[in-house]
Amino acid sequence: MKFIENIGKALTSIFSNIGKFILFILFFFKYLFGPKFYFKNNIRYFLNVFVSSIPIIALTGIFSGMVLALQSYTGFSRFSAESAIPNVVVLTLTRELGPVLTGLMISARVGSSIAAEIATMRVTEQIDALKTLNTNYYNYLVTPRVLSLTLALPIFVTLVDFIGVMGGYIVSVHRLGFNDNLYLLNTIDFLKIGDYLSGIFKAFVFGFIISIVSCYCGLFSDKGAFGVGSATTNAVVISSILILSSNYFLTELFF
Amino acid sequence: MKIEIKNLKKRFNDNFVLKDISLTIEKNKSTIILGQSGCGKSVLIKTIYQLFSFDDGLIFYDGKAKVDIDKFSMLFQYGALFDSLKISENIAFTDFINNKTNFNKKVISLMNDVGLDKSIFNKYPSEISGGMKKRVAFARALYKNPKVIFLDEPTTGLDPINSDKINELILKVITKRKITAVTITHDIKSAIKTGDHYYFIDKGIIQDKGDCKKILKTKNKAFKSFISGADFKQ
Ligand SMILES: Nc1ncnc2c1ncn2[C@@H]1O[C@H](COP(=O)(O)OP(=O)(O)OP(=O)(O)O)[C@@H](O)[C@H]1O
Ligand SMILES: [Mg+2]
Repeated sequence: MKFIENIGKALTSIFSNIGKFILFILFFFKYLFGPKFYFKNNIRYFLNVFVSSIPIIALTGIFSGMVLALQSYTGFSRFSAESAIPNVVVLTLTRELGPVLTGLMISARVGSSIAAEIATMRVTEQIDALKTLNTNYYNYLVTPRVLSLTLALPIFVTLVDFIGVMGGYIVSVHRLGFNDNLYLLNTIDFLKIGDYLSGIFKAFVFGFIISIVSCYCGLFSDKGAFGVGSATTNAVVISSILILSSNYFLTELFF
Repeated sequence: MKIEIKNLKKRFNDNFVLKDISLTIEKNKSTIILGQSGCGKSVLIKTIYQLFSFDDGLIFYDGKAKVDIDKFSMLFQYGALFDSLKISENIAFTDFINNKTNFNKKVISLMNDVGLDKSIFNKYPSEISGGMKKRVAFARALYKNPKVIFLDEPTTGLDPINSDKINELILKVITKRKITAVTITHDIKSAIKTGDHYYFIDKGIIQDKGDCKKILKTKNKAFKSFISGADFKQ
């Protein structure tokens, strides 16, 4: 009986959390530009996220591109289709790996810190203090984070695409003996703007997912240091799973 | 502002913190809340401030159920300073985030009032001591010129000299600025010095109340042992 009771409790908690989360998203849109919009605060947060994420974005791009070139060579050389490598690298990056890897890396790098910061603010009563200072926490905390990440992710993905293609180029030309001009020409010729744009659309969605989930996990965390820890873990795990699952449906959409 | 609380009940899940609280906070007077650690003092003032909802009872602010909480301000028990902002930006928070820039003078004069040195003006909360944080939080609470100020243990963690300074400031603020004050404290000396009326909470209800000048003459057993430090549970 205890067992069934526990399942019941878990289910109720999941559904009540989903309900709370949907309400949270509605409130986000309600307070997006009002009662106050702290312009400077938004800009400052954007720049902060942007600058601090550049190193991992560069590393993600370069190594993904390099390994893609090597792996596709292994596969394609078996039926003498090495010339398809530039196409495979650029397509895989722009349509799939760019957005997904960037999403996962940013959820680990930025999502976790959003959740930890906001959960700490909740635990140390800073969220209550905001209310006593006549400041809406959606305006002051949630809007800058969600807007910044939703706008930054497409830029990050563009960078990962570009740096990734460069990584593939370096490996193909210097390690696999490709003609350098031909490699670049093949890349550009083959890429359609739609491939790139579908990745950018994914990036918008992933940026929104990471930021809104992380803000939610931080704001509704349990009290104490344990609460901060679990808020951080939840933010990364939930946004990663949502990224991977929504990626399938978004791919289906552009198929 | 006069605040009347009638039969207030507040619980967290099955933890009944406030069982039946009735009290009156008189306008422009200093009300002191006393009680053992964990008895619900902080919860009570946060409920009055509408930071928490409550389960049953009534709260009237100047006779009305609705109130503009921007007339209130609060010194939180643990300061609740914003870690990512400088001391000056914390004190002048609302002006700072609304891009006003002419707050330095006001901030320095408030820092002086609460006994803080100018040298911490540009420091971050993590760089100053616990007692300093408390005084920064007090300065922040005074910055917006509230009608009612809630002080959650303003002198806990301060040395006797700075404690006295804060007590003097509380008195000065109440008389000069005509502010209604609600102060939680464990320190009987501060209560006598700064308070007009006191309420003693135990087991979720008001056990004793009266005039702060007569605290030491109380006949209430539980409150007597609270004052003398003896355990009155038996
Ligand atoms: N946000 C919360 N969620 C759940 N329970 C809470 C919450 N805040 C307080 N409590 C519970 O309410 C009770 C009273 O807490 P409160 O902080 O009001 O005590 P206090 O009288 O201020 O004690 P102290 O003198 O130590 O500050 C405690 O049992 C605490 O566990
Ligand atoms: Mg307390």
